[in-house]
Amino acid sequence: PMALFSVFQTTFLLASLSLRTYQSEVWSEPLPWAPESLKVSINSTRQCLHLQWSVHNLAYHQELKMVFQIEISRIKTSNVIWVEDYSTTVKWNQVLHWSWESKLPLECAKHFLRMRSAVDDAKTPEQRFWSNWSSWEEVDVQNSLGHEPLFVFPKDKLVEEGSNVTICYVSRSQQNNISCYLEGVRMQGEQLGPNVSMFNLNHVAFIRETGTNIYCKVDQGDGIKGIVLFVSKVLEEPKDFSCETQDLMTLNCTWDPGRDTGLLKQLSQSYTLFESFSGKKTLCKHKSWCSWQVAPESQETYNFTLTAENYLRKRSVYLLFNLTHRVHPKAPFNVLFKNVSATNATMTWKVHTIGNYYTLLCQVDLYGEGKVTQHNISVKVDGEHLFGGLEPDTQYMAQVRCANANRFWKWSEWTCQNFTTAEAAPSEAPDVWRNVKSVQGDCVVTLFWKPLSKLQANGKILFYNIVIENLDRSSISKLLSIPAPANGTEVILDQCLYQIHVTANNSVGTSPASVIIVSGDPGNTEVEEERVKGTEDGFSLSWKPQPRNVTGYVVDWCDHPRDPLCDLQWKNLGPNTTSTVVSSGAFRPGVRYNFRIYGISTESVPYLLEKKTGYSQELAPSDNPQVVMSNLTSHSFTLSWKDYSTESQPSFIQGYHVYLKSKAGQCHSGWEKAVLSDDAVCCKYKIDNPKQKTFVVENLQPESFYEFLVTPYTSVGEGPHGAFTKVTTPDEYSPILIRIILPMVFCILLLMIICYLKSQWMKEKCYPDIPDPYKSSVLSLIKSKENPRLTIMNIKDCVPDSIEVLNKQEGTRKSLTETESTKPTYLYLLPTETSYSGPGPCICFENFTYNQAASDSASCGHVPVPPKAPPSQLGLLTSPENLPKSLEKNYMNSLGEIPAGETSLNYVSQLASPTSGDKSSLPTNPPEPALCSEYKMQMAIPLAPWKENWLSSQRIYKTY
Amino acid sequence: MLACLCTVLWHLPAVPALNRTGDPGPGPSIQKTYDLTRYLEHQLRSLAGTYLNYLGPPFNEPDFNPPRLGAETLPRATVNLDVWRSLNDKLRLTQNYEAYSHLLCYLRGLNRQAATAELRRSLAHFCTSLQGLLGSIAGVMAALGYPLPQPLPGTEPTWAPGPAHSDFLQKMDDFWLLKELQTWLWRSAKDFNRLKKKMQPPAAAVTLHLEAHGF
Repeated sequence: PMALFSVFQTTFLLASLSLRTYQSEVWSEPLPWAPESLKVSINSTRQCLHLQWSVHNLAYHQELKMVFQIEISRIKTSNVIWVEDYSTTVKWNQVLHWSWESKLPLECAKHFLRMRSAVDDAKTPEQRFWSNWSSWEEVDVQNSLGHEPLFVFPKDKLVEEGSNVTICYVSRSQQNNISCYLEGVRMQGEQLGPNVSMFNLNHVAFIRETGTNIYCKVDQGDGIKGIVLFVSKVLEEPKDFSCETQDLMTLNCTWDPGRDTGLLKQLSQSYTLFESFSGKKTLCKHKSWCSWQVAPESQETYNFTLTAENYLRKRSVYLLFNLTHRVHPKAPFNVLFKNVSATNATMTWKVHTIGNYYTLLCQVDLYGEGKVTQHNISVKVDGEHLFGGLEPDTQYMAQVRCANANRFWKWSEWTCQNFTTAEAAPSEAPDVWRNVKSVQGDCVVTLFWKPLSKLQANGKILFYNIVIENLDRSSISKLLSIPAPANGTEVILDQCLYQIHVTANNSVGTSPASVIIVSGDPGNTEVEEERVKGTEDGFSLSWKPQPRNVTGYVVDWCDHPRDPLCDLQWKNLGPNTTSTVVSSGAFRPGVRYNFRIYGISTESVPYLLEKKTGYSQELAPSDNPQVVMSNLTSHSFTLSWKDYSTESQPSFIQGYHVYLKSKAGQCHSGWEKAVLSDDAVCCKYKIDNPKQKTFVVENLQPESFYEFLVTPYTSVGEGPHGAFTKVTTPDEYSPILIRIILPMVFCILLLMIICYLKSQWMKEKCYPDIPDPYKSSVLSLIKSKENPRLTIMNIKDCVPDSIEVLNKQEGTRKSLTETESTKPTYLYLLPTETSYSGPGPCICFENFTYNQAASDSASCGHVPVPPKAPPSQLGLLTSPENLPKSLEKNYMNSLGEIPAGETSLNYVSQLASPTSGDKSSLPTNPPEPALCSEYKMQMAIPLAPWKENWLSSQRIYKTY
Repeated sequence: MLACLCTVLWHLPAVPALNRTGDPGPGPSIQKTYDLTRYLEHQLRSLAGTYLNYLGPPFNEPDFNPPRLGAETLPRATVNLDVWRSLNDKLRLTQNYEAYSHLLCYLRGLNRQAATAELRRSLAHFCTSLQGLLGSIAGVMAALGYPLPQPLPGTEPTWAPGPAHSDFLQKMDDFWLLKELQTWLWRSAKDFNRLKKKMQPPAAAVTLHLEAHGF
């Protein structure tokens, strides 16, 4: 059945089409209402074609519904690009208009346009057929462009982001090659005619506010033409459009304009506000708000249209409201406080009037002491509110805001003001405690009190009054005034019973008194101290309930027990309490805290019940005791650390460990082997009693090396294994030896002293300087063997017959010749030959220039020695490096003034001189010592400067 | 060479400039004006870079050299070398003064159109500097006793584009304004250098002469 229906439908359509064709052919004669007087105009900027025509032959006041069919062709008439039916009602003498926007700029191509009409009116059904086509109307803008060689179209177009744009150029010359660029990038176009090309840009994007540059240029030449394509971001609809008034005089409308369109200011969108009831319109100066003057007449309802509009788009939003429903009052002003007492204050404020008949609802908030209270008050012009139940001497902050009471719209801004209540007398007695010490018969009472809390003090505490009343004698009280912020004082009392009243005072009054009784007996009864174990949270203390009546208990302790001002703390507890947890932020690990628990009798007398001591956390000892070693013998020594205080250690000392290192490595009974952290093996002795602070190390080997260490041990470990003390046991026999050796040494010393004192006598006796020939053993030998008649000639027996006087000039400078002519100091007593050769013994007198060694030598060689030169210098002279210098020194000496008595010392080594100048020729072996007979030669050394000396000496050496 | 030096030394006391004391003449102010042109040249290089980027390609392309269309009202800095050499001091200074007066006016128009606040600030700063250069030139002219050129009434140049003035042509004009400004600053540097040398005392010229001989 579907196929059958389809065939039927097609047949019907074909039939109706053929009927219509027949009709148009039959009625192709001129229609009485054909379009006439066609006029075509263009809007180049908008790329629009405007068509204008009229329909004649209409009767006066005749209205006729007509359809106009319009056809548009491009380049040539046959190229139809647009057909549109335009229906309208035509009146007598009416000029009809129709517009069409071309995608291609109109300058780029010729356009042709024609139209025909048909009546589409129910009144004249017989006239329903098309008129003849009008003749083609040609639109050719290119002819009117001018004579410039190149044109680019459209000129400076404004489009929305994402649009498609068609661009073309028209060139006047066909020879030129033309290239077109979009932002510097060449575009590929489509030829429209011999000298026209077009370029399609799809989905254009926003690049910059100053637009997208498109330009074409002639390849050979400097012709350039371009356009700027302004691309706008899509204009958004204004959001959050709202209007309100503060005074019923001006409406302030605000909105969010949305994102920026990215256009230059002159192309950007404008905002218009239109009110439909009054018909008024205003152009807004700002992008996001606008003011509207409320008319003096009582218009209550407003219907606003806000329109955002730019060249491309128009967006509108609407708002209908009653003016009285949009009242946003201004913030209240002139907020003041009056009658401010310790507990009450009255706040007043003013509001801006909105109208005579408007009431405002004001909200008042009060902040103080961490609390907020809120009140709502109805206000016409002036507002007033009484705050009650306030705390004395407290700063409060009050704030107020208002809104329309009849129709709430919005709260005004807050207006804030601070005030402080007046002071009142302190409400509570200060919490007082005492510490009693007996010093030289007096009772030194240190009073402590805790500062009152802010709530209790009711103002600034200025001073504390202390009244000391002697209960025994009922005498006149003693009054002390301690200025704040002191939290204690010390009073010295005799051993009597006193009642102490402590009150805190501020500018208004006095607090109730705190009473404490100090008995003459300080109450330091011997109470056993118990150990307690603390935790991070504190110390859990408990005590036995008291059989007698107590009004309460007090636990006191020092927060800083190591400080002289130990910062005494206390805690008051009820009479039925027998345990508490003492916690303090000041508790530190490794610090020993002592707690005292007092019971307070009904007479307000505190008496000590129990003592507790403990650590919040025990720590291993950080120091070892300072050990003193004594009684060192070859088999034992004693260790002592009596100065070590067990009380001030970071944990309870349980005992001590004595470590002993020895080379033998064996441990005696009572000792056990231990391995230290550095893998060293040693012996350990454990002392269980912490009070035992001496120890004797026994069973040691004599003359042995030992190391020891004493360290305390606790439940959390022992002290550091630091430096061991070294000790060597003495020899077993050394004491005996000392008893023998010492006297012997003494005797020897004594003998030596005697010898020294009697040295002259000893010398004369044992080895005199001039031997006595009579005592000579030679004499006795001669006497006995050869000639028994020979005897020693005595000088006294000789009679001298002549005296030869040798004149020797001293202290003058000697010339070489003089030196040469000087006779030798040698006197040959034994006959010698002049040409002496070869070594041989000779007897010679001692000359100062020869040392003992030289003279003792077998050859009696005259080895020269520099005068007064120490032996070490002698060695230096032989080293080749030092030779020239030494020589120089020598020559200088010889050149200079020779002091008296040194004449005989003026001797230059004949051995050194030849080697001085020529190191290469330095003889490895020293020359043979010169013999006595050749001694003269050494005196021939000339006195000349160093260098010449060197040559001269060499020369001399050669001759030698 | 020695004879030349001796002759120069012989004539030194006769050189009036060396004997002059007190009034330093227009020399320092010419030097200051020269320095200012060099400073503005440097400043313009940075400003032009920013502004041409703001206009977009092809205006910020280094080899972009469009024909000077539509910018005919701008004072032209390029001149024939012989003509430039033959200019007298008064004419030279007057041309400079007139050119910068016009360019400053155009530049202020540019500032009004600029969209970004940073660009407006840079342009305003440059305008102030250019105003300083104008004052400096006026100072030199006054020191040399030349009158300032009077602007003809009603010929105050404006930079408002006409209705037929397309945005692309407007950008071209902006480009040419900056280009001409740069050329004028180069030319002014040469102008003031020439003036400076001319105003220097002849003794300096003697020194230069000797140096030129490779002394």
